[in-house]
Amino acid sequence: MKMLRKGYVAVVLVIPLGWIFVHQVWPSSHIWVPVLIQGDQTRGHGHSAILPPIYVITPTYQRPMQKAELTRLTNTFLHVANLHWIVVEDSQTKTPLVSRLLQESGLNHTHLNVMSPRNIDRRSIRGLSQRNLGLQWLRSTFNVRNPNPGVVYFADDDNTYSLELFDEMRWTQKVSVWPVAFAGSLRYESIKVNAKGKVYGWEVAYAPERPFGIDMAGFAVNLQLLLSKPNANFKLHPGLQEGSLLLDLVTLDDLEPKADNCTKVLVWHTRSQAPDLSGEARFKHSANLET
Amino acid sequence: MKMRLKLKSVFVLYFMVSLLGLIYALMQLGQRCDCTGHDIPKERVISRLRGELHRLQEQMRKSGEIQQPQKDPKSSLPTIFVITPTYARLVQKAELTRLSQTFLHVPQLHWIVVEDSNHKTPLVRDLLAKSGLTYTHLHVATAKERKLQEGDPNWLKPRGVEQRNEALHWLRQETHKQQGVVYFADDDNTYSLQLFEEMRNTQRVSVWPVGLVGGMKYEKPVVEGGKVVRFHTGWRPSRPFPMDMAGFAVSLKLVLANPDSWFDGMAPMGFLESSFLQGLVTMDQLEPKADDCSLVLVWHTRTEKPKMKREEALQAQGLGSDPHMEV
Repeated sequence: MKMLRKGYVAVVLVIPLGWIFVHQVWPSSHIWVPVLIQGDQTRGHGHSAILPPIYVITPTYQRPMQKAELTRLTNTFLHVANLHWIVVEDSQTKTPLVSRLLQESGLNHTHLNVMSPRNIDRRSIRGLSQRNLGLQWLRSTFNVRNPNPGVVYFADDDNTYSLELFDEMRWTQKVSVWPVAFAGSLRYESIKVNAKGKVYGWEVAYAPERPFGIDMAGFAVNLQLLLSKPNANFKLHPGLQEGSLLLDLVTLDDLEPKADNCTKVLVWHTRSQAPDLSGEARFKHSANLET
Repeated sequence: MKMRLKLKSVFVLYFMVSLLGLIYALMQLGQRCDCTGHDIPKERVISRLRGELHRLQEQMRKSGEIQQPQKDPKSSLPTIFVITPTYARLVQKAELTRLSQTFLHVPQLHWIVVEDSNHKTPLVRDLLAKSGLTYTHLHVATAKERKLQEGDPNWLKPRGVEQRNEALHWLRQETHKQQGVVYFADDDNTYSLQLFEEMRNTQRVSVWPVGLVGGMKYEKPVVEGGKVVRFHTGWRPSRPFPMDMAGFAVSLKLVLANPDSWFDGMAPMGFLESSFLQGLVTMDQLEPKADDCSLVLVWHTRTEKPKMKREEALQAQGLGSDPHMEV
C-alpha cells in the first residue's frame, strides 16, 4: 500500500513538471515568429504578435507629385512590420486616386479626409487639421482603459525614411527623438544629449528658443500617452506646430534619444521639385491617364 | 479496497486529462501565438527580438558579400539589370535609400550602381552592402569638360553618359547566355512595383508612358493595333525615339548582340536615348507595355536641392555641422 502511494505521488509530481517544461521551453522557438524585416517576395507585409504597432499619420493633398510620393512611401512602408498607415487627405471628399492607391497597396490603412480652413495662409497650417484628425481617429478607436501598445509617427509624404528609423521608434515609452537631415536649412538638425543619455537642448539654427526644437519627422509619441491626454493636439503656430503638441505631452527630461544617442541620420527632410508642366498649356492629351 | 480503487480512478482521470492537454498543446505548435493574453516579460521579448534581428542582419550581410542572395539557380525569372548612375550631393543617400527600398520588393533584380567618381565612395559602398540587394558597384568619372558646372541648367550637358556606358561594358564582359532585361533607372525618379513585372519579359525593346516629364503630365508611345505608331510628346516628336530614359527597357540578349551600341555624349540635347536605341530596334519592333501604354507606372520626379543658408552662415563662423555625421 505504501509503495503504491509513493508511486502515485511520484507520478502526480512528474506530470505538472512536464507541463511546466512544455510551457516554458517550446513557445520560445516555434510558435512565435516575429517578422522584423521583409523577406518574402509577395506584396504582403510582416505581422508580428509581439512588436508594438506603428501608426503613421500622413497628411496629403492633391498636386501632380502626389501619386508618385504616395507610391514610393508605400514601397517603404511595405517593409515595416505591424505598420498601420493613416492617410488624411486635405479634401472635402476621399479622392479616387488615393482610395485606389491604398486599396492596392497591401498595407493596413485608414483613409480619412478633412479640408484645411481656407482663410488661413496655407503654408503655416499645412497638415494641421489632417494630423489632428488622425489623432482624433486614434482616440475614438482605442479605449484608454485598455493596454494599447504602439507608437504614433507623423510622416509627411515627401520625406525619405530609412527602415532602421522604424526599429528605433517602435519601443518609445513617452516621446523619442532623433536627428533630421535638411531641416531648418542645415545639413541636419539634432539633439543635445549628455553623457547620461539625457536630452538637454537642441542643435538647431532656426528659432533655437523653441521649447521643442524638433522637426515633425524627428519624433514619435507613445500611443497610450496620446490617449491619456485627450486634449493634446497640434495648434496653429507657424513653424512651431511640433512644439504645440509636445508641450502638452512631455518635458525635456522625458525625451528618449534614439539613433545611437542622436548621432545618426535615419530620416531626410527631402522636398520634391514641382514638375515643369508648362507644356500642358499648349497641348491637348488625347487620353486622360492618371499620373 | 474501496479507498485504493478510488485513489486509482482519480489518478487515472488525472493522467488522462493531462495527456489530452499535452496533445492539445502539441497541436498548437506552429500556429500563430496570441501572445497578448500571455504575460511575457519585456526583457525576455527584447532579448529574443535582438537575437532575431542580429540573425537576420547577418543573413543580409552574408548575402551582400556573395552578391547573389536572390539568384536561385532554379529560378526561371529573367533578371532585371537596373543601371543607376549616381553622383555625390546632399540628397544622394536619401535617394539611394528610397530606391533600394523599392528594389527590395522586386525578385531577380540586379542593381548596377555607377558612381560619377574616380573611386568608390564609402557612402555608396556601405549603403549597397547593407541594402540586402544583389548589386555591382562601379565608378567612372565624367571628363571635366563634359561635366555640368554649378549654375548650369540641367539640359546643358547630358548626365550619366559615361556611367551608363560603363555599366553596359560590364554587362558585356560579365554576363553571357543569361535571360534578362536592362533598365536605366536614374536615382531621383519614382518607380512602381508593377513596372518591373511589365518589363521582365522584354524580347527586344519595350516601352511605356512616363509621368511628369518633358513639360507635361506624361509622355507616351501611341499604340494602334498593338504596335507603336508614333510618340505623344511635347517636344521635338520627330526624334527617332522621343522618349525619356525611364520609358524603355532593352533585353540583355539585344545588348550583348550589339556590342557597338552605346550612349553618345555628343548627341544633341534630347537625342541621348535615340543615340542608343537607333542601332538596336525600329519603331515597328517596339513592345508596348502597361496596358498598351495607357498606365503611368514611372514618374520623372526631381528632388529639390535642400536650402543650406543657415548651414553656410554657421560654417562661415566656424560652427558648421559635424562633417563626420553622414547625411
